[in-house]
Amino acid sequence: MKKCVLIFALASLLLAPAALAQVQPGDATYSVSLHAGYGHNLTYGSMANFDIDAYLPINQHFDMQANIRTSTANVHTLGVQLRPKFALPVGELYVEDRLMMRFAQRDNYHDFVHAISLGYMMQYVNVQVGMSNRIITPLPYTNHSEDAMILEPFDAVYRVEAFVRPQSESWNISLCVSNMDNYQIERMWQPMFYLGGWYDVNEHWRVRLSGKMKLAGMFHLNAHYYGAELRAGAEYRF
Amino acid sequence: MKKNIQIGLGSLFLVLGSIFTACGPDARLDMVGMFAGSSPTIDKRFEQSMEYNKQAGYATIQAPSENYHVYVCTDTHIHQTRKRWEHFINAYRGDKLCPLTVHLGDIIDATTDFGYIEEALEQHPLTAILPTKPDTLMAVCGNHDIYFKQWGQFVKTFKTSSYYFIVETPSGAKDLFVVYDSADGTIGSKQLQWLRETLVWAESQTFRHIIACTHTHFFKRDGSQGHTSNYTLEETYALLNLLTEHGVEMLWSGHDHSREITQVKDMTCIIVDSMTEEDDEPYYMVVSMGGKVEYEFVAVP
Repeated sequence: MKKCVLIFALASLLLAPAALAQVQPGDATYSVSLHAGYGHNLTYGSMANFDIDAYLPINQHFDMQANIRTSTANVHTLGVQLRPKFALPVGELYVEDRLMMRFAQRDNYHDFVHAISLGYMMQYVNVQVGMSNRIITPLPYTNHSEDAMILEPFDAVYRVEAFVRPQSESWNISLCVSNMDNYQIERMWQPMFYLGGWYDVNEHWRVRLSGKMKLAGMFHLNAHYYGAELRAGAEYRF
Repeated sequence: MKKNIQIGLGSLFLVLGSIFTACGPDARLDMVGMFAGSSPTIDKRFEQSMEYNKQAGYATIQAPSENYHVYVCTDTHIHQTRKRWEHFINAYRGDKLCPLTVHLGDIIDATTDFGYIEEALEQHPLTAILPTKPDTLMAVCGNHDIYFKQWGQFVKTFKTSSYYFIVETPSGAKDLFVVYDSADGTIGSKQLQWLRETLVWAESQTFRHIIACTHTHFFKRDGSQGHTSNYTLEETYALLNLLTEHGVEMLWSGHDHSREITQVKDMTCIIVDSMTEEDDEPYYMVVSMGGKVEYEFVAVP
């Protein structure tokens, strides 16, 4: 019962930006998006993923984002991002603070990750670099004790993303390499590769399609396929 | 603009230079393997290992005593010299309670280094490092052992990278050692299934201890792991759950070059120090397999 209350409270907290977005429709950049995806990896096999993301610009210097993913692989993610930002003569400098909880229910493990990074966003390129730390704990929670928590205190996060057109355009295609996305923050030596695009149907609706590839062994120097995901969805901008 | 182009071209030459120097006859890093592995994938290596296991069977080794010793080393990275490796061999040969030794991978360092192993087999008293000979060395496949298409040479020398063996004491008590191949940073779907089936079978037996041996470590807990890669997170949790839920008492691994002991539920995960010639503080581990499993680390001169 306690667990259900906790999950409900966290879900409510994370969806709060979406609710706020609906009651404050003045700014056109508030948005909520829904995505579904097919994924596969060598450990879980095939799976379907369902995502809800909410984006909330507080003011011109600060925005927030909340992400929820549930998967048929029985791995579920809650994440929130806080992003102070500063406009520069060219582009925008920002700090991204991510908190993410990932429940690998199927394997009875849970991790809590914090990542903070410095980013520079331009029309064609987005670059981010920073650090993360992770706490791994076995489930169920009754196993919790100091000994049961495994702390990975320092790791690096990075993201390099290039767009074929300026980001303000109505359609775009992007290529990206990063060890983090809205639903997973991997270790430093585990990059993931992304190819994605969007198309603005009208002022409010944007459709997105993206693919992700995860290799194993890149830094064991015998790289090969580990997993992939194809994801499609729509975003509504208020 | 001109400066940006100069910086860009400079970086490009630096990267290309690194790649080309890594492709020479004495290359120590298989940079091409970062993007397309030159050895077979883990699923194919596993199939080859199973073919050998099917023919040769799984070894049962007789222990000289109820409380016997297992000598464990890792990351020797043999390259041109092998003094520490030889010291280790002499140490376990001098221990009458030691029926076997385990090498946790990265036996050699890079391309051409299997030549040093073959040379050792021919010229040095290490005349028998194969499992079927009196010196029973149980080898784990490490990532350095398969760089530069070297899987073929690993198989030629050590036959299999996924197997188990049983050690039986004079009173009939049995210990199970499960060796799995993590040299790619993933153990693959087929080997994962085999590992699951093996551990489920082991639970139905009456093993005194169950020990798992592999190369890649699970966690990234300290600065020593800055240069070493792990499993994907999905696989980390799946393997942790599998091993801890099926009575594995200890997991021995290497790869990190630095000792680390982590307790996960009832399983002790031990990363053993490296024994490279360049290492300032090389150690190996001596495990006492009795009613309890106890271990100590021994410095190598």
